[in-house]
Amino acid sequence: MTNAHFNRRAFLASVGGTALACALDAPAQTGPRTSITVRIDRDLAVLDPANRTGPWDGNVMRVVFQRLMKQKPNSSELELDAAAEVRQVSPTVIEFRLKPGQMFTDGFGEMTADDVKFSFERIGLPPKDGAKESSYKADWLFLQGVEVKSKYEGRIVLTQPRANLYDVVIADGSGCIVSRKAVGERGADFATKPVGSGPYQLVSLERQKGATLRRNPAYAGRKPQYEEISIRFIPDARTTDLALRSGELDFAVLAPASAEPLRSVAGLTVNDQPSIAYVWLGMNVEKAPLSDLRVRQAIRLALDVDQMLAAGYNSKAPRLNTLLPPQILGHWREAPVYKRNVAEAKSLLAAAGASNLKVKLLILNQANYQSMALVARALLAEIGVTVEVDAQEGGTFWNSGKGDTGKNIDLFITRFNGKHDPNFIMQWFVSGQIGNWNWQRWNSPEFDALYAQSAGEVDPARRRQLVVDAQRVMDKSAAFVWLTNEANTLVYRNWIRPAGVPGWIDWQYDDFGTAS
Amino acid sequence: MSAGEGTRTAEAMRYLASRLVTTVLIVLGAMLLLFTLSAVVPGDPATTLLGPQATPELSRRFVTEMGLDQPLYIRLWRFFANALTGNLGTDVISGRPVAGLIGEVLPYTLILTFSAIGLAVAIGVPLGVFAATHRGSVADNVLAFISVAFIAVPSFVIAIFLLLIFAIWLDWLPVLGASRTGAFWDEARRMILPTLALALGWIGFIARLIRTSMLEVMAEPFIRTSRAFGLSRRLVTYKYALKNACIPTITILGMGVGRLLGGAVLVEIVFARPGLGRLIYQAISERNYPVVQGAVLVVVVLFVVVNLVVDLSYSAIDPRIRHDASRRGATG
Repeated sequence: MTNAHFNRRAFLASVGGTALACALDAPAQTGPRTSITVRIDRDLAVLDPANRTGPWDGNVMRVVFQRLMKQKPNSSELELDAAAEVRQVSPTVIEFRLKPGQMFTDGFGEMTADDVKFSFERIGLPPKDGAKESSYKADWLFLQGVEVKSKYEGRIVLTQPRANLYDVVIADGSGCIVSRKAVGERGADFATKPVGSGPYQLVSLERQKGATLRRNPAYAGRKPQYEEISIRFIPDARTTDLALRSGELDFAVLAPASAEPLRSVAGLTVNDQPSIAYVWLGMNVEKAPLSDLRVRQAIRLALDVDQMLAAGYNSKAPRLNTLLPPQILGHWREAPVYKRNVAEAKSLLAAAGASNLKVKLLILNQANYQSMALVARALLAEIGVTVEVDAQEGGTFWNSGKGDTGKNIDLFITRFNGKHDPNFIMQWFVSGQIGNWNWQRWNSPEFDALYAQSAGEVDPARRRQLVVDAQRVMDKSAAFVWLTNEANTLVYRNWIRPAGVPGWIDWQYDDFGTAS
Repeated sequence: MSAGEGTRTAEAMRYLASRLVTTVLIVLGAMLLLFTLSAVVPGDPATTLLGPQATPELSRRFVTEMGLDQPLYIRLWRFFANALTGNLGTDVISGRPVAGLIGEVLPYTLILTFSAIGLAVAIGVPLGVFAATHRGSVADNVLAFISVAFIAVPSFVIAIFLLLIFAIWLDWLPVLGASRTGAFWDEARRMILPTLALALGWIGFIARLIRTSMLEVMAEPFIRTSRAFGLSRRLVTYKYALKNACIPTITILGMGVGRLLGGAVLVEIVFARPGLGRLIYQAISERNYPVVQGAVLVVVVLFVVVNLVVDLSYSAIDPRIRHDASRRGATG
């Protein structure tokens, strides 16, 4: 037996060795890159389509699972994915035929029409055998059922026509096709150990750290360029900036202000993209004095949206003049662009008999909302409206409009994520959402009717007109001051060609490639 | 066994028993407080978690699943009964057991905490001794300045500076504080900056504390007597003075470990490193009560266990503490 000696010499040698190991960086990849590291700012939680928690989960799911149809690279147009054919045989019936030989990973066999039936019905129909109801049941609104005609063929039957079924359901998270057998066998573990047939398979998922995707060799569709995608959860924008500079990160989406310092960094591309999120200042039309249309019109005229955006977004976010941004069907191009007019605002207040008004402006306690709220407070002070800014953290803020609590709101600034569908964006403003997400408590039978008609209208031109008319009704109410649909700034290595559905809420990991 | 030894053993057992009872009471009290805070905090978890997708029916179902529609006393009873059997509940987002989530991030927290405290002790103690034995010298003054500076600057600010210097300017170390692959060496080099960021403040603190305690102890008559008996300065300083001067430092270290277990959240965020602090922070903002309760409970248990070990260790260093405590216990 020998005695271990730990003397000064041994200590220095071990410290030196450790320092050398630290100084040596990871071996650099030579030749074309086979893997990339991307940043997400929310933690991945549930990779089961029926219970996903948001777009960050959805982005991973859409490459792990196949859908009947999916978006073309960098486009909102659809192409076939798992289906060899999809046919709308009537306003309420869609027939599909699967490509044969599409295999689920981990030995769960070939995808069949029965898997499609199971995948759609477990979200859209009431659960059987005490199973948990999906959080996304509303996505499959009007689903009567999926009929299996043969191993590869089936029919989706609706109770009513739905104009947006393809864009926001079939080609999105709720259209992901899971293996019936795998869901049954894995149970709750399916959320973190998903079994799909898509271009990538999940090889690791760790809380607060992220996930690793590896190319699925059995995928028969367009082969992804990168063998591996490492998805890192980095909540802090400053850390993201440093990781991009140091080369540890290859792709991130940042707020324009956070991305600004990276424009001068060699080797990085900074690319501004319009978003389809929407931010607005809303007014509670049930609560005096805002219940008076003239008071709301006065507030709208007293505000200067451009000044607010300069404060909140360093003028890097485009101004929004109506609910739907330009990329969405039914965007109202001729929507009025309100200019600040203090004199007219004062005369409207005088006509309403309103003086020395005091209102609260509810916002989320984030820097950009706080900056916009302070500008709004200063602008409204000029017409004699005193604003108290009420900044709340997320938990309290998102609860503020619920039930009777919502009756106490005066003004608020909020932001919702959008999708490439007008009805998805309009749905939060119908009267049925009062006490839920319609914080304006705005009840317009005319808007409700236009919303319902446009949801079932399959002719794009007629649908566009209905949606524009709905926005006109919103404008007349003066309950909304549209601010911005924001902007996303993509930051990536020069050799990367990123891919995402315009608006950049939905990313397309499988179509990320190398810049030519 | 002699009568004296028997008395000492009985004393030690009484002391240990009293500390264990206190520990259990602290944990139970913390559980009660934790439950109460979760019950009174404003904000509805269904709204926060489900977002604009939430229909009223879905929100109601969610509340039922979380058991929030039950009377408070039933929720309290369930919380205690489950926690005492090791069931920390289910994460309402992923549906996974909370214990599993904590198990994933706990190693990161423990390694970071003990590395930081270990580094702080390894550097802070010698610096403190050096400052005490060179009282009033230039080196003492410089050390005092540096120590106070380290104490005053928040760890997340230090973290950002460390990143700028070592990861960006010098390009020696990585920005991200957790390895993608989990490989040992990669993990070790990614640990260096987070550990330094947390340790620097503690190095200053420990150095100041040791210096002050050493100066007090070295003025004691037994030190002079030891020197008068011809013992070397080195032996007196390190064996007698330092041992006695360590007691307040050990106490502070116990508190320090507790603070770092759940309180390193900003450093964890800056380095994008998993950890209990981040887990708790995220769960609070999502009103994910089972995760908040489970993770905080784990922090509390670890905290009281560490402090129990600390108590026992300084009673071992200074038997008067044990003797006094057990005598107080005996006389009520």
